[in-house]
Amino acid sequence: MDTKRTIAALAAAALAGSLIAGCSSGGSGAEEGKTKLTVWAMGDSSKPMEQMAAAYQKENPDVSIQVQAIPWGSAHDKLLTAVASKKGPDVLQMGTTWMPEFAAAGALADLTADLADYPELAADNFFDGTVTSTQFDGKTVGVPWLAETRVLFYRTDVLQSVGYDHAPKTWDELLDASKKLTERGKDKYGIGLDPKEPTLSFMFARQNGSKLIEDGKAQFDQPAFAETVRYLDGYFKNGYAPVDLGLDTSQTFGGDGMVPMFISGPWMIKTVADQIPDIEGKWATAVLPSKDGNMSSLGGSNLSVFGFTEQKAAAMKFIAFLSKPENQLEWMKQTGELPANKKAWEDPQLSGDPNMAVVGEQLKNAEPMPLVKAWDNISQNFLKTFEEIYRADADIDAKLKDFNEQSQKLLDK
Amino acid sequence: MKGSSKMAPYVFIGPTLLLLAVFSLLPILVALGISLTDMDLAGLADYSSISFVGLANYADVLGDPVFLLALRNTLFYVVIGVPLVIACSLGVALLIQFGRSRLFKVFRVVYYLPSVTNVVAVAVVWSYLYNPGIGLFNYILTSIGFDKVPWLTEPTIAKLSLILLALWRSIGLNMIIFIAALQGIDRSYYEAAQLDGASGWQQLTRITLPMMRFAIFFVTITTMIGWLQFFEEPFVMTQGGPLNGTVSASLFIYQNGFQYSHFGYAAAGSFVLFFLIIAVTMVQLRLQRKQAEE
Amino acid sequence: MKQATTRKPASAAPRGRLQQWAAGIVLTVFGIAMVLPFVWMVLSAFKTEGEIKRIPPTLWPEAFTVDNFTRLFTEMDFGTYLGNTLLITLFSFVGLLLNAMAGFGFAKYRFKGREKLFLLVLATMMIPGQVTMIPVYLILNGVSLTNTMLGIVLPGFTSAFGIFLFRQFMSTLPEEIMEATRLDGASEYRLFAQVVLPMSKPILAVQAILTFIGGWNSFLWPLIIANDEKLYTLSVGLQLLKGQNTTNFALQMAGAAFMVLPIMVIFIFFQRQIIENYNISGIK
Repeated sequence: MDTKRTIAALAAAALAGSLIAGCSSGGSGAEEGKTKLTVWAMGDSSKPMEQMAAAYQKENPDVSIQVQAIPWGSAHDKLLTAVASKKGPDVLQMGTTWMPEFAAAGALADLTADLADYPELAADNFFDGTVTSTQFDGKTVGVPWLAETRVLFYRTDVLQSVGYDHAPKTWDELLDASKKLTERGKDKYGIGLDPKEPTLSFMFARQNGSKLIEDGKAQFDQPAFAETVRYLDGYFKNGYAPVDLGLDTSQTFGGDGMVPMFISGPWMIKTVADQIPDIEGKWATAVLPSKDGNMSSLGGSNLSVFGFTEQKAAAMKFIAFLSKPENQLEWMKQTGELPANKKAWEDPQLSGDPNMAVVGEQLKNAEPMPLVKAWDNISQNFLKTFEEIYRADADIDAKLKDFNEQSQKLLDK
Repeated sequence: MKGSSKMAPYVFIGPTLLLLAVFSLLPILVALGISLTDMDLAGLADYSSISFVGLANYADVLGDPVFLLALRNTLFYVVIGVPLVIACSLGVALLIQFGRSRLFKVFRVVYYLPSVTNVVAVAVVWSYLYNPGIGLFNYILTSIGFDKVPWLTEPTIAKLSLILLALWRSIGLNMIIFIAALQGIDRSYYEAAQLDGASGWQQLTRITLPMMRFAIFFVTITTMIGWLQFFEEPFVMTQGGPLNGTVSASLFIYQNGFQYSHFGYAAAGSFVLFFLIIAVTMVQLRLQRKQAEE
Repeated sequence: MKQATTRKPASAAPRGRLQQWAAGIVLTVFGIAMVLPFVWMVLSAFKTEGEIKRIPPTLWPEAFTVDNFTRLFTEMDFGTYLGNTLLITLFSFVGLLLNAMAGFGFAKYRFKGREKLFLLVLATMMIPGQVTMIPVYLILNGVSLTNTMLGIVLPGFTSAFGIFLFRQFMSTLPEEIMEATRLDGASEYRLFAQVVLPMSKPILAVQAILTFIGGWNSFLWPLIIANDEKLYTLSVGLQLLKGQNTTNFALQMAGAAFMVLPIMVIFIFFQRQIIENYNISGIK
């Protein structure tokens, strides 16, 4: 009984305590007269964002910034409730793939007219692809912030052993190298292509001249796209790329190079260096092999102003601060995330690192996935379609025809 | 019952019902309304852009071959999983309760641990166990001369693998409920039975199991509801693959509705599942009442 | 229990010992399988990220490192999250009492609409959680409970599962004792507090364990209701450690291991303090 009484007493105390907390949080604009800005930072980046905010507040003592971290995995839910109640942050970090959906719902403020006031935010400061990702329906709904793009990682020593003293430069070379690498023996593969990566096939298709979506019409049953699917399917069917290996890159890229090539983003540079130290000097990165072109897929995040905020000007000013090259570099130092600002890439930290230089080169030729609000849905549908092709050997043309119709329906909604 | 205590039952259930009405029943009604509309993210921001579509969402979702496949998969999970969970947790509870040594108390903790292990850790460890190349299971199989098993890459085997994982996770919770029920049985029944010379087996079937029917009924209903909403295991392990082999109704609704903000469609799917669960539960309630009357 | 089928009751002692051994061995074999992933999680928490990903994997860490735990403390606003988590957990115990009351009401009284009301309660656990998330949020927003502790705990305060569990167990309580108490002139409420609750200790213990786990792991509402990190819980903090493209497994294992510790302590505490005490008092 004693424990129960203690618990009851504690609960009562807690109740009282939290009610007080509830009251005080209402009046927590303690520093009266200051403009209060709320910023949503994604994932583990709230600490660095707080440091940026502190630096900003030093320059602008009349502003008080509150940073709230949102876990990536639940950011969508959190954003939904913000839209539903029209209560949210003033500034928010948006993944590029979510931009169209939330812009269409009016959750992102139209910044087109405001941009002229901030020279830091002029479009030509940023990589073209990143600027594209901030456009929706002819309006600018965000400012480029972080950029990443896919490049080719390869083991120089292993490729040399099959006669390649350079990274494969074309689709044909990539296929040929993969074939030779696979022929090294049992449990050896050419290249790691993640069939569950939603951008993979679309990225290759663009290199083959597919427009994916043109004037609101899905182009997935066209020859350029079908040819790409066939090309990629070949890697899986011939065993050049593993399907169900179930291993992490850090487990397959080291040693004698079970999978000596893969396509991934810049975060893998650090992962490979940290987790497979024994292959130092035996691996490199390269821009993607080309067909008609070698355009890569662009990801990252933008900074947007929440559509229902009343502090647009103050929010823009803070965004302009974050977009300065020196601050973008500072951010990179803290988080390892790469700047979207071109000027920042001239800094020796980036231009002096051969792997980063490759990423910088590729960023000049990278585009985000099509900016339609159903894109997430379309690309997930494609993964299922593609699985039936590479795993269950379904007829490619028939499947793509179905997929095209399904996508068109989503586009027309 | 005395006159003054007429109000008592309402006082006991009142606060809870009020909370449930506000935070569960009302939202369910709202969701039912949403299922008749084409609400999406834009509609959430601006209600005027929502339009009424009648039963179109229901027709769409019931005509979706993947949803029907998901329902079939769910049935597969329930039919195999539910009896397994009940039998295993009951068996473990009986064995633990049977033991007289102190060691058996340790088993309570041991069997309970899986149900409190964080799902992230569960996913990492089981992905390794099921890993086709380097996984522990295939390593053991090949080292004793068997072929490798495609644990998560063949649709039917993948379903069974997820059932095994879910079984592992859910034994602990049901076990402590069964143990609590076992604790509640009056020892005098057993003493009387032993005097009459009843064997252990007779004591089990004539006293223990009948006395536990309330607990067994509870576990059956809640397990059934839980498995009809089977979600977490395919979500963290397979995302519904391979070839939609492990997609469950809940996972389908989540992926096709909530992830892409097709709220109307998702709500319609949820209600199809909801009605299904109600129907199954009603049948069970009927069966129980019949048994009680006999 | 299969072993219990041997016929002769005469040589009870040696046969009983054999059965004890058989039960022990069966439980040990399966117990090892049950506990292995847990052991793995705890041991992994002391490994470096590189070691976790090595093939073939190691079970025992090569060199124990507490780095992962240090990072948990330095990269999370740990004190605040812990405080909130405790607060929410305490709150949910009020809910436990409400559930017990409702369970008792449904179990031991015959009143108008009982069956229908109970079905309604059950129905609330049959709907997928995501479908009610936005409506619940809008209701809380409508009564200005967003960004408050009350708003975080209210949606999960009562649970159909708990009510159902209490109802099932309380309906097995013998009527005679209750009648006797009533004849002594006790009110229904005293009956509940002084007779029914003490008699329901095993199930209270079970539900207390479940309530603790639920409160301790609460994630969704703290995240959605809070407009301020000051209201985040440990689970939310753990999720924050997850990067967009890369996941640090060692760190997550450390977090998961750390979070499970109090649950184990509570579990052992409740099963000792209540289940076993009851066992003794139950033998009259």
